[in-house]
Amino acid sequence: MVYGWVLHPVEYRDTSLVSLRYDYRTDYVLMVAEIYNSEGDAEQAIRQIAQLGNEPPVDTVIQALAYAAQMLYSPADLVMIQNLANALQTWSPTPIGINP
Amino acid sequence: MIRERRRTKQENNSGIGKGNLYILTGLIIGLLLGLVISWVIAPIKYIETAPNSLRVDIKNEYRLLIAAAYHANYNLPRALARIELLSDPDPLLALTTQAQDLLKSGDINGKAFYLAYLADAIKTASISQAGISANATKLPITSTPSPTGISDGFLTGTPSFITSITPIIRLSETPIATQMSRFILKSQQIVCDSTQAELLLMIDVFDPTNLPIPGVEIIITWSNGEEHIFTGLQPEISEGYVDYLMSPNIDYGIRFASGGVSTIDLAAPDCTNNQGTAKWGGIKLVFQKP
Repeated sequence: MVYGWVLHPVEYRDTSLVSLRYDYRTDYVLMVAEIYNSEGDAEQAIRQIAQLGNEPPVDTVIQALAYAAQMLYSPADLVMIQNLANALQTWSPTPIGINP
Repeated sequence: MIRERRRTKQENNSGIGKGNLYILTGLIIGLLLGLVISWVIAPIKYIETAPNSLRVDIKNEYRLLIAAAYHANYNLPRALARIELLSDPDPLLALTTQAQDLLKSGDINGKAFYLAYLADAIKTASISQAGISANATKLPITSTPSPTGISDGFLTGTPSFITSITPIIRLSETPIATQMSRFILKSQQIVCDSTQAELLLMIDVFDPTNLPIPGVEIIITWSNGEEHIFTGLQPEISEGYVDYLMSPNIDYGIRFASGGVSTIDLAAPDCTNNQGTAKWGGIKLVFQKP
């Protein structure tokens, strides 16, 4: 235990976005919301949010919104995340190659 | 009597041997069980990690996202706080290196610009801060609340304050394309006297006050292709500098992504000297916003 905890403790490295702590996940969602707010590209936002895990991107954004509200993020930030959530809820993929 | 003693001794010895074997067997089984548990049944799961522990490629994506978010909101303190989370030894170098790598790999989506743009903003802020220190002017410290409350690597709801830098917020949020829409060719020069300039197309871009402009997208075209390059990725030369290695005997066209200057046609100059030694030269172009 001394070896494992003191002499050679576990070092977190080569981790993925899925394992990010909740506050970092929320900031990640905020970044995506900021970019979406500027560029309006919902498809890109979905791709970026999907990297946070297997949950539907809308759920991830809604969870982040709840956490951001709980942590007293600025109203402007909350609005941006809310806008992103709304956009993802109404977004539907563009059908490709559908011929009548 | 002696026989009985020998027999008892032999039994004792064999008993000790069995005991050792049991211990050894137990250790091996324990070790195997431990490995099965730790590798198969309950393998280690990373939870609640920080951005600085991300795999290199994911960290690059994270850095790109920070740069794109900065381009969206022009909030430098926030971008700096986020960059800090990645624990890069030299954040500026990390940004420029990633931008250069992206450009080398083609940069189809034009993302290198975001990285270069953030790198430029950080550098400008640093220079500004250094200038303030050098002048020894006692200025009131501008405390800028970090909107996400980034403090000591933790994001909390309590707003924290970043006082170590004086943020340079870009007041103009005019799209870059508009800001850099007009450039004129100020000078064009053939460089034959430098081996380093061989086949090199060197471009400098300046604003009306002769200050170099970083982050300007220039499109190099030739008969069957094109490449997008950005100024400012070699700040050791100039913030408004970019170069491109030409191939001999190919005609190139140059234009700004934002429009302005119409395509200029040029090719690597033949700098063969009087002794007949074949050599290619370079071209130096200077553009300025009027």
